[in-house]
Amino acid sequence: MIAIDAVSKEFETKGGRRHLAIDDIGLAVADGEFVSILGPSGCGKSTLLYIVGGFVPPSRGSVTVGGKPVTGPGPDRGPVFQEFALFPWKTVLGNVMYGLQQQGVGRTQARERARALLAMVHLEGYESFYPKELSGGMKQRVAIARTLAYRPSILLMDEPFGALDAHTRTRLQNDLTEIWERDRKTVLFVTHSVEEAVFLSDRVVVMTRSPGRIKEIVTIDLPRPRDRVTLLLERRYQDHVVAIERMMDAQE
Amino acid sequence: MIRAGRLADTLIGLVPIALILLAWQAVHSAGLAPPALLPSPAAVFTRLAQQLGSPAYLEHAAATLYRLFAGFGLALAVGVALGVAATGSRAVGAVTGPIVRVLAPVPKIALYPAFILTLGFDDASKIAAVFVDAVFPILIATRQGTAVVEPKLAWSARAAGVSPARCLVTVVLPAALPSVLTGARIGLVISCIVVFLAEMITSTDGLGHLLVRAARNFQTVDMFVPLITISLLGLTLNAAFNALRARLLRGFPEES
Amino acid sequence: MTRLPGIPGLAPLVAFAGLLAGWEVAARGIGIDGLPPASRALAEVPGILADPESLINIGASLYRMALGFALGVAVAVPVGLMMGRSRHVAAFFNPLLMVIYPVPKAALMPIIMLWLGVGDASKTLVIFLGVSLPVVYHSYQGGRAVEEKMLWSAAAMGMGAPARLLRIVLPAALPEILVGCRTGLVLALITMVTSEMIARQSGVGNILFNSLDMAQYDTVYAMIVIIGVLGLALDAAFERLRAALVGWAEPSQALMVGTT
Ligand SMILES: Nc1ncnc2c1ncn2[C@@H]1O[C@H](COP(=O)(O)OP(=O)(O)OP(=O)(O)O)[C@@H](O)[C@H]1O
Ligand SMILES: [Mg+2]
Repeated sequence: MIAIDAVSKEFETKGGRRHLAIDDIGLAVADGEFVSILGPSGCGKSTLLYIVGGFVPPSRGSVTVGGKPVTGPGPDRGPVFQEFALFPWKTVLGNVMYGLQQQGVGRTQARERARALLAMVHLEGYESFYPKELSGGMKQRVAIARTLAYRPSILLMDEPFGALDAHTRTRLQNDLTEIWERDRKTVLFVTHSVEEAVFLSDRVVVMTRSPGRIKEIVTIDLPRPRDRVTLLLERRYQDHVVAIERMMDAQE
Repeated sequence: MIRAGRLADTLIGLVPIALILLAWQAVHSAGLAPPALLPSPAAVFTRLAQQLGSPAYLEHAAATLYRLFAGFGLALAVGVALGVAATGSRAVGAVTGPIVRVLAPVPKIALYPAFILTLGFDDASKIAAVFVDAVFPILIATRQGTAVVEPKLAWSARAAGVSPARCLVTVVLPAALPSVLTGARIGLVISCIVVFLAEMITSTDGLGHLLVRAARNFQTVDMFVPLITISLLGLTLNAAFNALRARLLRGFPEES
Repeated sequence: MTRLPGIPGLAPLVAFAGLLAGWEVAARGIGIDGLPPASRALAEVPGILADPESLINIGASLYRMALGFALGVAVAVPVGLMMGRSRHVAAFFNPLLMVIYPVPKAALMPIIMLWLGVGDASKTLVIFLGVSLPVVYHSYQGGRAVEEKMLWSAAAMGMGAPARLLRIVLPAALPEILVGCRTGLVLALITMVTSEMIARQSGVGNILFNSLDMAQYDTVYAMIVIIGVLGLALDAAFERLRAALVGWAEPSQALMVGTT
């Protein structure tokens, strides 16, 4: 379980002024829950995710994961960044194998696991490609495979599909739900797309504009497993989307 | 089209070199300069070919190469290690930063007499001279390159449970490789130059020594030969380095 | 390079003092004639600087250096800029520069002395050669990076090619050119010292080796300190000038391509 308790983050800007990025965020995410975070640009969604990941320390408040306070990054929380952040000097296979090998998994075993993961994200045949030779959607799938490789129980995904075209985006959403249905990982998912948030999540957190606070939390009571096409016709789905859109518009 | 352009560029580039050789030959043929001052190009290149096949000459070249690579290798190891450590640790960065800033603009060749006094006239002082001159560009390039590595690359590794020190070596250093190699390339050329100069200042062997010896005996032809050798050596090393670089950086997006 | 908190310029001073202290301790610990303690070497410095003969020597060295540097910049900047703006000019000069690059310019001293004698002309020429290369290189890079659109609009206004080079390319490439000049300045000093070490006629390099031959080790180290401080002072002064001229550009992150 992730417990975010009264977390604030203040950045010191160049001129020595302080800038409050997020203010007094409190949120509890249950094991196996899929929670999305929506909010205007610059409201601190990435910052919140980085704090949970342990990459950035909070200015005030604390985060605990499974009861233990977060003091730094750990293999229980796997990040997927919007910028992919693949290692350019490693091949696709090398990228996915990296975490495993660093954890002491043998070479052959790591390669096998990596191959299986690449197959899962539909990238067979691209093992020896370098990241620069892949399309954006392929890179993002490699990034996801790289994170899944070391089996984090929590996924921290920062607009993972933000830079993708609509078609690839839908495919990856389907892939992600599939993976989630199977493993039931805890997911903290930042997005700008209301439809995406409603389609994927158990709960949607809507944040205010900067400094980011939690404005509202919406529980998405749609049955699972969810199928995109049936969902689109479903009244409750449409209601959620419209209600959240209104919420977001209200703060413009 | 591109091919033809490349070829044309190469041909254009050969023009000034050919012109210099032609002018040289012309000055010589016209008798404008006595051979004692300016030997003919033919004489110089014949002598070069002769020397490159002579074991005695190659031994001198080997002495130079040994000092060059010992000094450069040391500079590479120390420069990269310190550069990475300066990025990885605040304390190391705070200590090395100002020291490097003080020492970088100092003409390091002036330290050579000090090395002679402390390390003797043999290889050690020359290796030390090469080392101090080559280490700074490598150190500075590594420091700058590692400092600007996208933090999310390191975060991705840290999240996989990799320790900060290991992350520095397995992620930050490889990510900074383009910059490190740029520094290493500069360091390599500097090594070429310094080893030659140190041998000219005091030595009993090596290419630089051959130049000085020829100058003392007014053997003009033999003065040109080591200079051309060091130029060829520099070109060869540069080409080898570029090939290695292309291989090491094959995953990186190309720059200009 | 690294930005330190507190007073700028303080950290290098502390580093400088630290280096001297380290030298002092090491010398006392090792205790050989060839490495006198810093205090003894520094005690020699006032004596050298008060001696008219060595002052004349140092002055003569600096004069040659200034002349070689000025000539080098005057020739190298136009060449570099033209290389940057024309692919053919670049193709023309590049291989030649690659051939010259690994040749130590100071090593040409014996040959040039044959032709021009042992006087100022040889040494100035060698310094000129040493300075030219980095200045050409950086001017080339600077000229190449000038925005094409700026030149188009200038051409549309009826500005001729030479005027464009002078009025647009030169100012736009100035930050990069000055980086080259800064490297060139340090190189001028290095070439100067080295060529004097090789020619052994006059100048600071000569004083250095004469005292080495006469086993005046304190003087050797005092000269090393003087040359080192000279390098630092020139670099710092040039950095001031650069900041004043192109304060609008990014602070230079250039590598010191430093030797001849
Ligand atoms: N390293 C930093 N230094 C100073 N300010 C920062 C830093 N990182 C983020 N900020 C500020 O914190 C605020 C929140 O940034 P953050 O990147 O978390 O927003 P976001 O909600 O993820 O935006 P987007 O949707 O555009 O990705 C912004 O105002 C930003 O300017
Ligand atoms: Mg963000």
